[in-house]
Amino acid sequence: MHNSSTLHFLKAGLWTTVQDKGRVGHQASGVPVSGAMDQTAAQLANWLVGNSEDHPVLEITLLGPSIQINHTVQIAITGANLSPMVNRTPIPMYETVAIKEGAILKFGRIQNGCRAYLSVGGEWMVQRWLGSASAATTSTAKLTPDSLIKKDSLLTIQATPFIEKRNSPPPPDYENSIVVNVLPGPEFDQFSSHTIAHFFSQTYTIANDSNRMGYRLLGKELSIESKQEVISSGIVVGTIQVSNAGQPILLMRDAQTTGGYPRIAVVLPEELDHLAQLKPGEAVRFCFIS
Amino acid sequence: MTFQPYGAETLLLNFEQKIKKEINEQVIDLNKAILAAQLSGITYTIPAYCSLTIGYDRSVLSYETLSLLIEKIKAATFTKEAKSSNSLEDKHLIIPVCYEEAFGLDIAAVAKEKNCTLDEIIQLHTSTIYRVYMLGFLPGFAYMGRLPEDLACQRKQTPRLSIPPRSVGLAGYQTGIYPSAAPGGWQIIGQTPVPTFMPNQDTPFLFQAGDQVQFQAISKKDFFTISKDIDSNQFNWSNLYA
Repeated sequence: MHNSSTLHFLKAGLWTTVQDKGRVGHQASGVPVSGAMDQTAAQLANWLVGNSEDHPVLEITLLGPSIQINHTVQIAITGANLSPMVNRTPIPMYETVAIKEGAILKFGRIQNGCRAYLSVGGEWMVQRWLGSASAATTSTAKLTPDSLIKKDSLLTIQATPFIEKRNSPPPPDYENSIVVNVLPGPEFDQFSSHTIAHFFSQTYTIANDSNRMGYRLLGKELSIESKQEVISSGIVVGTIQVSNAGQPILLMRDAQTTGGYPRIAVVLPEELDHLAQLKPGEAVRFCFIS
Repeated sequence: MTFQPYGAETLLLNFEQKIKKEINEQVIDLNKAILAAQLSGITYTIPAYCSLTIGYDRSVLSYETLSLLIEKIKAATFTKEAKSSNSLEDKHLIIPVCYEEAFGLDIAAVAKEKNCTLDEIIQLHTSTIYRVYMLGFLPGFAYMGRLPEDLACQRKQTPRLSIPPRSVGLAGYQTGIYPSAAPGGWQIIGQTPVPTFMPNQDTPFLFQAGDQVQFQAISKKDFFTISKDIDSNQFNWSNLYA
Protein backbone atom coordinates (compact mmCIF):
# COMPACT_ATOMS: atom_id res chain seq x y z
CA MET A 1 0.00 0.00 0.00
CA HIS A 2 1.37 3.32 -1.02
CA ASN A 3 -1.30 5.76 -0.05
CA SER A 4 -0.54 9.05 1.49
CA SER A 5 -2.22 10.42 4.56
CA THR A 6 -2.62 14.05 5.49
CA LEU A 7 -2.59 15.39 8.99
CA HIS A 8 -4.75 18.49 9.21
CA PHE A 9 -4.02 20.62 12.28
CA LEU A 10 -7.35 21.97 13.52
CA LYS A 11 -5.41 23.53 16.41
CA ALA A 12 -1.67 24.03 16.52
CA GLY A 13 -1.10 23.62 20.25
CA LEU A 14 1.27 25.86 22.20
CA TRP A 15 4.49 25.16 20.31
CA THR A 16 4.43 22.23 17.92
CA THR A 17 7.37 21.68 15.59
CA VAL A 18 8.78 19.01 13.32
CA GLN A 19 12.12 17.80 14.71
CA ASP A 20 14.68 15.13 13.94
CA LYS A 21 18.31 14.70 14.98
CA GLY A 22 19.09 18.28 13.91
CA ARG A 23 21.84 19.67 11.73
CA VAL A 24 25.18 19.06 13.41
CA GLY A 25 28.19 20.26 11.42
CA HIS A 26 27.14 23.74 10.36
CA GLN A 27 27.93 25.60 13.58
CA ALA A 28 30.94 27.26 11.90
CA SER A 29 28.42 29.11 9.69
CA GLY A 30 26.31 30.13 12.68
CA VAL A 31 23.63 27.45 12.26
CA PRO A 32 22.24 26.12 15.57
CA VAL A 33 22.13 22.34 16.04
CA SER A 34 18.36 22.12 16.73
CA GLY A 35 16.62 18.71 16.70
CA ALA A 36 14.29 17.03 19.19
CA MET A 37 14.95 18.23 22.75
CA ASP A 38 14.38 14.71 24.13
CA GLN A 39 16.25 12.57 21.61
CA THR A 40 15.61 9.29 23.45
CA ALA A 41 11.85 9.81 23.38
CA ALA A 42 11.91 10.92 19.72
CA GLN A 43 13.94 7.91 18.60
CA LEU A 44 11.72 5.54 20.54
CA ALA A 45 8.61 7.03 18.94
CA ASN A 46 10.14 6.38 15.54
CA TRP A 47 11.01 2.79 16.40
CA LEU A 48 7.46 2.12 17.58
CA VAL A 49 6.11 2.86 14.09
CA GLY A 50 8.99 1.32 12.13
CA ASN A 51 10.65 4.58 11.07
CA SER A 52 14.41 5.07 11.21
CA GLU A 53 15.60 6.81 14.36
CA ASP A 54 16.58 10.03 12.59
CA HIS A 55 13.15 10.39 10.97
CA PRO A 56 11.15 13.54 11.71
CA VAL A 57 8.63 13.52 14.56
CA LEU A 58 6.33 16.16 16.00
CA GLU A 59 7.58 17.78 19.19
CA ILE A 60 4.55 18.86 21.19
CA THR A 61 5.04 21.30 24.06
CA LEU A 62 2.70 21.42 27.09
CA LEU A 63 -0.50 22.06 25.18
CA GLY A 64 -1.13 19.62 22.36
CA PRO A 65 -2.56 20.19 18.90
CA SER A 66 -5.80 18.84 17.50
CA ILE A 67 -5.19 16.78 14.38
CA GLN A 68 -7.60 15.32 11.86
CA ILE A 69 -6.16 12.35 10.05
CA ASN A 70 -7.58 11.65 6.61
CA HIS A 71 -6.28 8.15 6.04
CA THR A 72 -5.51 5.22 8.34
CA VAL A 73 -2.01 5.50 9.83
CA GLN A 74 0.13 3.97 12.54
CA ILE A 75 1.29 6.40 15.21
CA ALA A 76 3.11 6.30 18.52
CA ILE A 77 3.43 8.86 21.30
CA THR A 78 6.30 9.04 23.78
CA GLY A 79 7.73 11.62 26.17
CA ALA A 80 5.47 13.84 28.23
CA ASN A 81 2.03 12.50 29.06
CA LEU A 82 -0.35 15.11 27.69
CA SER A 83 -3.40 12.80 27.86
CA PRO A 84 -3.58 11.82 24.19
CA MET A 85 -7.00 10.75 22.93
CA VAL A 86 -8.67 9.77 19.69
CA ASN A 87 -12.25 10.90 19.23
CA ARG A 88 -12.27 11.64 22.98
CA THR A 89 -11.16 8.13 23.99
CA PRO A 90 -7.76 7.97 25.73
CA ILE A 91 -5.09 6.09 23.80
CA PRO A 92 -2.00 4.40 25.19
CA MET A 93 1.48 5.84 24.88
CA TYR A 94 4.65 3.82 24.20
CA GLU A 95 3.02 1.50 21.71
CA THR A 96 2.01 1.37 18.05
CA VAL A 97 -1.53 2.68 17.66
CA ALA A 98 -3.58 2.50 14.45
CA ILE A 99 -5.64 5.63 13.80
CA LYS A 100 -8.61 5.23 11.50
CA GLU A 101 -9.43 7.47 8.61
CA GLY A 102 -11.18 10.67 9.67
CA ALA A 103 -10.29 10.34 13.35
CA ILE A 104 -9.30 13.33 15.44
CA LEU A 105 -6.22 13.06 17.65
CA LYS A 106 -6.25 15.47 20.57
CA PHE A 107 -4.43 16.08 23.81
CA GLY A 108 -5.72 17.05 27.22
CA ARG A 109 -4.34 17.63 30.68
CA ILE A 110 -0.58 17.54 31.31
CA GLN A 111 0.03 14.55 33.54
CA ASN A 112 3.80 14.79 33.59
CA GLY A 113 6.75 16.01 31.55
CA CYS A 114 6.90 18.93 29.12
CA ARG A 115 7.42 17.60 25.58
CA ALA A 116 5.59 14.76 23.87
CA TYR A 117 6.74 13.15 20.63
CA LEU A 118 4.35 11.95 17.96
CA SER A 119 5.64 9.67 15.24
CA VAL A 120 3.65 8.58 12.20
CA GLY A 121 4.77 5.58 10.16
CA GLY A 122 5.89 6.52 6.64
CA GLU A 123 7.84 9.10 4.71
CA TRP A 124 7.14 12.69 5.81
CA MET A 125 6.78 15.13 2.92
CA VAL A 126 8.45 18.08 4.61
CA GLN A 127 11.06 20.48 3.34
CA ARG A 128 14.54 19.89 4.70
CA TRP A 129 17.33 22.40 5.09
CA LEU A 130 20.96 21.33 5.44
CA GLY A 131 19.82 17.76 5.71
CA SER A 132 17.34 18.24 8.53
CA ALA A 133 13.60 18.84 8.80
CA SER A 134 13.97 20.45 12.24
CA ALA A 135 12.31 23.85 12.42
CA ALA A 136 15.00 26.42 11.64
CA THR A 137 15.39 29.05 14.35
CA THR A 138 15.58 31.95 11.88
CA SER A 139 13.69 32.42 8.62
CA THR A 140 11.63 29.38 9.58
CA ALA A 141 8.92 30.17 7.06
CA LYS A 142 11.45 30.22 4.25
CA LEU A 143 13.84 27.45 5.29
CA THR A 144 11.52 24.88 6.85
CA PRO A 145 8.01 26.06 5.98
CA ASP A 146 6.36 22.79 6.99
CA SER A 147 8.09 22.41 10.32
CA LEU A 148 6.45 25.09 12.41
CA ILE A 149 2.90 23.90 12.91
CA LYS A 150 0.16 26.52 12.70
CA LYS A 151 -3.62 26.27 12.65
CA ASP A 152 -4.63 24.58 9.38
CA SER A 153 -1.12 23.33 8.61
CA LEU A 154 -1.15 20.19 6.51
CA LEU A 155 1.43 17.46 6.85
CA THR A 156 1.52 14.75 4.22
CA ILE A 157 2.88 11.33 4.98
CA GLN A 158 3.59 8.74 2.33
CA ALA A 159 2.48 5.54 4.02
CA THR A 160 4.80 2.54 4.25
CA PRO A 161 3.45 -0.98 4.89
CA PHE A 162 2.09 -1.33 8.42
CA ILE A 163 4.33 -3.03 10.91
CA GLU A 164 3.35 -5.51 13.56
CA LYS A 165 2.41 -3.69 16.74
CA ARG A 166 5.37 -2.79 18.95
CA ASN A 167 5.55 -1.56 22.50
CA SER A 168 8.14 -0.53 24.99
CA PRO A 169 7.98 -0.09 28.74
CA PRO A 170 7.35 3.57 29.53
CA PRO A 171 10.08 5.30 31.52
CA PRO A 172 9.32 6.21 35.14
CA ASP A 173 7.19 9.35 35.48
CA TYR A 174 9.19 12.52 35.00
CA GLU A 175 10.07 14.24 38.28
CA ASN A 176 9.37 17.92 38.79
CA SER A 177 12.70 18.41 40.52
CA ILE A 178 15.85 16.82 39.17
CA VAL A 179 19.57 16.66 39.81
CA VAL A 180 21.75 16.98 36.74
CA ASN A 181 25.40 15.96 36.39
CA VAL A 182 27.74 18.60 35.00
CA LEU A 183 31.38 19.01 34.07
CA PRO A 184 33.30 22.23 34.64
CA GLY A 185 32.85 24.82 31.91
CA PRO A 186 35.75 26.51 30.10
CA GLU A 187 35.68 29.55 32.44
CA PHE A 188 35.07 27.52 35.62
CA ASP A 189 38.39 28.71 37.10
CA GLN A 190 37.42 32.35 36.67
CA PHE A 191 34.64 32.01 39.23
CA SER A 192 35.50 32.30 42.91
CA SER A 193 35.14 29.24 45.12
CA HIS A 194 32.35 31.11 46.89
CA THR A 195 30.42 31.57 43.64
CA ILE A 196 30.96 27.96 42.65
CA ALA A 197 29.77 26.72 46.03
CA HIS A 198 26.75 28.99 45.69
CA PHE A 199 25.96 27.64 42.19
CA PHE A 200 26.07 24.01 43.30
CA SER A 201 24.12 24.47 46.52
CA GLN A 202 21.15 26.24 44.96
CA THR A 203 17.99 24.74 43.60
CA TYR A 204 17.10 26.65 40.47
CA THR A 205 13.64 27.19 39.04
CA ILE A 206 13.10 27.10 35.26
CA ALA A 207 11.85 30.57 34.24
CA ASN A 208 8.59 30.98 32.33
CA ASP A 209 10.30 32.50 29.30
CA SER A 210 12.55 29.46 28.86
CA ASN A 211 12.42 27.84 25.45
CA ARG A 212 14.31 25.62 23.02
CA MET A 213 17.16 28.16 22.86
CA GLY A 214 17.77 28.30 26.56
CA TYR A 215 16.43 27.90 30.07
CA ARG A 216 16.82 30.89 32.34
CA LEU A 217 17.55 29.59 35.80
CA LEU A 218 15.93 31.55 38.61
CA GLY A 219 17.66 31.68 41.98
CA LYS A 220 19.68 34.04 44.07
CA GLU A 221 22.11 35.91 41.79
CA LEU A 222 25.67 34.66 41.67
CA SER A 223 28.20 37.31 42.58
CA ILE A 224 30.43 37.97 39.62
CA GLU A 225 33.61 39.47 41.06
CA SER A 226 35.81 39.83 38.01
CA LYS A 227 34.17 41.50 35.07
CA GLN A 228 36.69 39.84 32.81
CA GLU A 229 35.09 39.76 29.41
CA VAL A 230 35.09 36.52 27.46
CA ILE A 231 35.85 36.97 23.78
CA SER A 232 33.04 35.30 21.83
CA SER A 233 33.75 31.62 21.45
CA GLY A 234 31.98 28.45 20.29
CA ILE A 235 28.99 27.19 22.27
CA VAL A 236 28.11 23.57 22.95
CA VAL A 237 24.51 22.55 23.68
CA GLY A 238 24.18 22.04 27.44
CA THR A 239 26.50 24.90 28.39
CA ILE A 240 25.54 26.93 31.47
CA GLN A 241 26.65 30.50 31.01
CA VAL A 242 26.34 33.23 33.62
CA SER A 243 25.05 36.65 32.58
CA ASN A 244 26.52 39.89 33.91
CA ALA A 245 23.58 40.06 36.31
CA GLY A 246 24.68 36.73 37.81
CA GLN A 247 21.87 34.70 36.29
CA PRO A 248 22.74 31.29 34.86
CA ILE A 249 21.33 30.37 31.47
CA LEU A 250 21.32 26.77 30.33
CA LEU A 251 21.73 26.67 26.56
CA MET A 252 19.54 24.13 24.79
CA ARG A 253 19.37 22.75 21.26
CA ASP A 254 18.35 25.95 19.42
CA ALA A 255 21.09 28.00 21.11
CA GLN A 256 23.30 30.34 19.14
CA THR A 257 26.61 28.81 18.10
CA THR A 258 28.82 31.42 19.75
CA GLY A 259 28.60 33.43 22.93
CA GLY A 260 30.55 35.75 25.17
CA TYR A 261 29.39 35.04 28.72
CA PRO A 262 31.58 33.01 31.08
CA ARG A 263 30.66 29.34 31.04
CA ILE A 264 30.56 27.88 34.53
CA ALA A 265 29.51 24.32 33.66
CA VAL A 266 28.38 21.96 30.92
CA VAL A 267 25.73 19.30 31.48
CA LEU A 268 26.52 15.76 30.39
CA PRO A 269 24.98 15.03 26.96
CA GLU A 270 22.73 12.28 28.36
CA GLU A 271 21.15 14.78 30.79
CA LEU A 272 19.72 16.92 27.98
CA ASP A 273 16.81 14.52 27.50
CA HIS A 274 15.86 14.80 31.19
CA LEU A 275 16.10 18.58 31.06
CA ALA A 276 13.81 18.59 28.00
CA GLN A 277 11.01 17.25 30.19
CA LEU A 278 11.24 19.99 32.85
CA LYS A 279 8.45 22.53 32.72
CA PRO A 280 8.79 26.20 33.57
CA GLY A 281 8.39 26.49 37.35
CA GLU A 282 10.05 23.14 37.99
CA ALA A 283 13.38 22.71 39.69
CA VAL A 284 16.93 21.63 38.93
CA ARG A 285 20.07 21.26 40.96
CA PHE A 286 23.54 20.63 39.56
CA CYS A 287 25.98 18.04 40.71
CA PHE A 288 29.66 18.21 39.86
CA ILE A 289 31.32 15.20 38.22
CA SER A 290 35.09 15.62 38.34
CA MET B 1 47.68 27.65 22.99
CA THR B 2 45.83 25.63 25.62
CA PHE B 3 43.85 22.42 25.20
CA GLN B 4 40.92 21.76 27.51
CA PRO B 5 37.86 19.54 27.54
CA TYR B 6 34.59 21.46 27.13
CA GLY B 7 31.85 19.12 28.26
CA ALA B 8 32.03 15.40 27.53
CA GLU B 9 32.52 15.46 23.76
CA THR B 10 34.24 18.70 22.85
CA LEU B 11 37.82 19.90 22.80
CA LEU B 12 38.41 23.63 23.23
CA LEU B 13 41.61 25.20 21.97
CA ASN B 14 42.22 28.65 23.38
CA PHE B 15 44.77 30.77 21.58
CA GLU B 16 46.10 33.96 23.12
CA GLN B 17 42.86 35.65 24.24
CA LYS B 18 43.01 38.78 22.09
CA ILE B 19 41.10 40.01 19.06
CA LYS B 20 44.01 40.23 16.66
CA LYS B 21 44.39 39.38 13.00
CA GLU B 22 47.51 37.25 13.53
CA ILE B 23 45.85 35.16 16.22
CA ASN B 24 42.65 34.68 14.23
CA GLU B 25 44.75 33.65 11.22
CA GLN B 26 46.23 30.85 13.31
CA VAL B 27 42.72 29.74 14.35
CA ILE B 28 41.54 29.65 10.73
CA ASP B 29 44.67 27.96 9.41
CA LEU B 30 44.51 25.26 12.05
CA ASN B 31 40.78 24.78 11.46
CA LYS B 32 41.37 24.37 7.72
CA ALA B 33 44.16 21.87 8.34
CA ILE B 34 41.97 19.84 10.72
CA LEU B 35 39.09 19.77 8.23
CA ALA B 36 41.50 18.82 5.42
CA ALA B 37 42.82 15.91 7.50
CA GLN B 38 39.26 14.46 7.58
CA LEU B 39 39.78 12.74 10.90
CA SER B 40 36.98 10.32 11.55
CA GLY B 41 35.08 11.11 14.72
CA ILE B 42 35.20 14.90 14.42
CA THR B 43 31.58 16.03 14.21
CA TYR B 44 32.00 19.80 13.83
CA THR B 45 34.35 22.70 14.48
CA ILE B 46 33.62 26.30 15.48
CA PRO B 47 36.44 28.69 14.71
CA ALA B 48 36.02 31.98 16.62
CA TYR B 49 38.15 35.07 17.29
CA CYS B 50 40.86 33.32 19.28
CA SER B 51 39.49 29.86 19.98
CA LEU B 52 38.64 26.70 18.13
CA THR B 53 35.90 24.41 19.43
CA ILE B 54 36.07 20.83 18.15
CA GLY B 55 33.17 18.42 18.65
CA TYR B 56 33.91 14.70 18.53
CA ASP B 57 32.11 11.39 18.74
CA ARG B 58 33.09 9.68 21.99
CA SER B 59 32.46 6.25 20.50
CA VAL B 60 35.19 6.89 17.90
CA LEU B 61 37.75 9.08 19.64
CA SER B 62 38.88 9.80 23.18
CA TYR B 63 39.81 13.28 24.33
CA GLU B 64 43.44 12.16 24.69
CA THR B 65 43.64 10.64 21.20
CA LEU B 66 42.06 13.69 19.63
CA SER B 67 44.44 16.02 21.50
CA LEU B 68 47.45 14.09 20.17
CA LEU B 69 46.10 14.19 16.61
CA ILE B 70 45.48 17.93 16.85
CA GLU B 71 48.97 18.49 18.29
CA LYS B 72 50.43 16.78 15.23
CA ILE B 73 48.33 18.79 12.79
CA LYS B 74 49.23 21.95 14.67
CA ALA B 75 52.96 21.22 14.42
CA ALA B 76 52.66 20.60 10.67
CA THR B 77 50.47 23.68 10.09
CA PHE B 78 52.65 26.23 11.77
CA THR B 79 55.85 25.47 9.90
CA LYS B 80 56.97 28.30 7.60
CA GLU B 81 56.27 26.59 4.27
CA ALA B 82 52.74 25.58 5.24
CA LYS B 83 51.94 29.10 6.40
CA SER B 84 52.43 30.86 3.09
CA SER B 85 50.34 28.41 1.08
CA ASN B 86 47.42 28.47 3.50
CA SER B 87 46.93 32.21 3.48
CA LEU B 88 46.52 32.22 -0.30
CA GLU B 89 43.20 30.43 0.03
CA ASP B 90 41.47 33.31 1.77
CA LYS B 91 38.80 34.90 -0.36
CA HIS B 92 38.76 38.63 -0.95
CA LEU B 93 35.28 40.04 -1.50
CA ILE B 94 34.06 43.46 -2.50
CA ILE B 95 30.53 44.10 -1.23
CA PRO B 96 28.45 46.95 -2.72
CA VAL B 97 26.58 48.96 -0.12
CA CYS B 98 24.08 51.76 -0.50
CA TYR B 99 24.59 54.16 2.41
CA GLU B 100 21.66 56.44 1.56
CA GLU B 101 19.45 57.19 4.54
CA ALA B 102 16.58 55.07 3.26
CA PHE B 103 18.86 52.08 4.00
CA GLY B 104 21.31 53.53 6.51
CA LEU B 105 18.76 53.95 9.27
CA ASP B 106 21.32 55.11 11.82
CA ILE B 107 23.99 56.68 9.62
CA ALA B 108 22.91 60.23 10.49
CA ALA B 109 22.95 59.42 14.21
CA VAL B 110 26.40 57.82 13.92
CA ALA B 111 27.70 60.85 11.99
CA LYS B 112 26.36 63.13 14.69
CA GLU B 113 27.88 61.06 17.47
CA LYS B 114 31.21 61.01 15.66
CA ASN B 115 30.93 64.67 14.80
CA CYS B 116 31.55 64.14 11.11
CA THR B 117 29.68 64.16 7.79
CA LEU B 118 27.85 61.24 6.17
CA ASP B 119 30.50 61.19 3.44
CA GLU B 120 33.22 60.85 6.03
CA ILE B 121 31.44 57.88 7.58
CA ILE B 122 31.16 56.24 4.15
CA GLN B 123 34.77 57.06 3.39
CA LEU B 124 35.90 55.52 6.69
CA HIS B 125 33.78 52.40 6.27
CA THR B 126 34.85 51.71 2.68
CA SER B 127 38.56 52.44 3.02
CA THR B 128 39.37 49.56 5.34
CA ILE B 129 39.81 45.92 4.39
CA TYR B 130 38.03 43.89 7.06
CA ARG B 131 38.64 40.38 8.15
CA VAL B 132 35.84 37.87 8.83
CA TYR B 133 36.87 36.75 12.31
CA MET B 134 34.03 34.31 12.82
CA LEU B 135 30.38 33.52 12.10
CA GLY B 136 27.68 33.33 14.73
CA PHE B 137 24.51 34.96 16.09
CA LEU B 138 22.48 34.05 12.96
CA PRO B 139 23.14 31.56 10.14
CA GLY B 140 25.65 33.32 7.91
CA PHE B 141 26.27 36.33 10.18
CA ALA B 142 29.94 37.30 9.78
CA TYR B 143 31.69 39.29 12.49
CA MET B 144 34.14 41.55 10.64
CA GLY B 145 36.77 43.86 12.00
CA ARG B 146 38.42 45.87 12.91
CA LEU B 147 36.69 49.22 12.43
CA PRO B 148 38.87 52.31 12.32
CA GLU B 149 38.89 54.07 15.70
CA ASP B 150 36.78 56.93 14.34
CA LEU B 151 33.93 54.55 13.42
CA ALA B 152 33.81 52.46 16.57
CA CYS B 153 30.43 52.98 18.22
CA GLN B 154 28.12 51.69 20.93
CA ARG B 155 25.20 49.44 20.17
CA LYS B 156 21.81 51.15 20.16
CA GLN B 157 20.25 51.77 23.57
CA THR B 158 17.12 49.94 22.54
CA PRO B 159 17.57 47.14 19.99
CA ARG B 160 15.30 47.17 16.94
CA LEU B 161 12.69 44.44 16.86
CA SER B 162 13.42 43.69 13.24
CA ILE B 163 16.37 44.77 11.16
CA PRO B 164 15.86 44.31 7.40
CA PRO B 165 17.92 41.55 5.79
CA ARG B 166 21.22 42.64 4.15
CA SER B 167 21.51 45.66 6.47
CA VAL B 168 25.09 46.65 7.23
CA GLY B 169 25.74 47.56 10.85
CA LEU B 170 28.36 48.68 13.32
CA ALA B 171 28.89 47.60 16.94
CA GLY B 172 32.00 48.32 18.96
CA TYR B 173 34.95 47.72 16.63
CA GLN B 174 32.93 45.31 14.51
CA THR B 175 30.93 45.57 11.34
CA GLY B 176 28.58 42.98 9.87
CA ILE B 177 25.68 42.25 7.53
CA TYR B 178 22.36 40.84 8.74
CA PRO B 179 21.82 37.72 6.59
CA SER B 180 18.11 37.60 7.45
CA ALA B 181 15.64 39.82 9.26
CA ALA B 182 16.30 39.71 12.99
CA PRO B 183 16.08 41.81 16.10
CA GLY B 184 19.34 43.56 16.89
CA GLY B 185 21.13 46.50 18.41
CA TRP B 186 23.73 47.25 15.76
CA GLN B 187 23.86 50.76 14.28
CA ILE B 188 22.62 50.37 10.71
CA ILE B 189 24.56 52.48 8.21
CA GLY B 190 23.55 50.96 4.88
CA GLN B 191 22.30 47.93 2.99
CA THR B 192 23.82 45.65 0.38
CA PRO B 193 21.70 44.33 -2.50
CA VAL B 194 23.71 41.10 -2.31
CA PRO B 195 22.20 38.27 -0.27
CA THR B 196 24.83 36.83 2.09
CA PHE B 197 22.65 33.83 2.90
CA MET B 198 21.15 31.78 0.07
CA PRO B 199 19.40 28.87 1.74
CA ASN B 200 18.74 26.90 -1.41
CA GLN B 201 22.26 27.00 -2.81
CA ASP B 202 24.82 24.26 -2.29
CA THR B 203 26.96 26.84 -0.49
CA PRO B 204 24.33 28.85 1.35
CA PHE B 205 26.75 31.24 3.04
CA LEU B 206 28.68 33.95 1.21
CA PHE B 207 31.27 34.34 3.97
CA GLN B 208 33.48 32.09 5.96
CA ALA B 209 35.93 32.89 8.71
CA GLY B 210 39.19 34.16 7.25
CA ASP B 211 37.67 36.02 4.28
CA GLN B 212 38.77 39.59 3.51
CA VAL B 213 35.97 42.04 2.85
CA GLN B 214 35.91 45.58 1.55
CA PHE B 215 32.75 47.64 1.11
CA GLN B 216 32.07 49.77 -1.92
CA ALA B 217 29.58 52.66 -1.88
CA ILE B 218 26.88 52.49 -4.55
CA SER B 219 23.93 54.70 -5.47
CA LYS B 220 20.30 53.79 -4.94
CA LYS B 221 20.04 53.27 -8.70
CA ASP B 222 22.90 50.75 -8.67
CA PHE B 223 21.34 49.09 -5.63
CA PHE B 224 18.13 48.42 -7.54
CA THR B 225 19.97 47.37 -10.70
CA ILE B 226 21.98 44.77 -8.75
CA SER B 227 18.85 43.61 -6.88
CA LYS B 228 17.05 43.14 -10.18
CA ASP B 229 20.01 41.27 -11.69
CA ILE B 230 20.17 38.96 -8.69
CA ASP B 231 16.42 38.27 -8.81
CA SER B 232 16.56 37.45 -12.52
CA ASN B 233 19.77 35.40 -12.24
CA GLN B 234 21.64 37.92 -14.41
CA PHE B 235 24.06 38.93 -11.68
CA ASN B 236 27.70 38.13 -12.26
CA TRP B 237 28.77 36.79 -8.88
CA SER B 238 32.44 36.94 -9.84
CA ASN B 239 32.11 40.75 -9.61
CA LEU B 240 32.20 40.30 -5.85
CA TYR B 241 35.66 38.78 -5.88
CA ALA B 242 38.79 40.88 -6.21
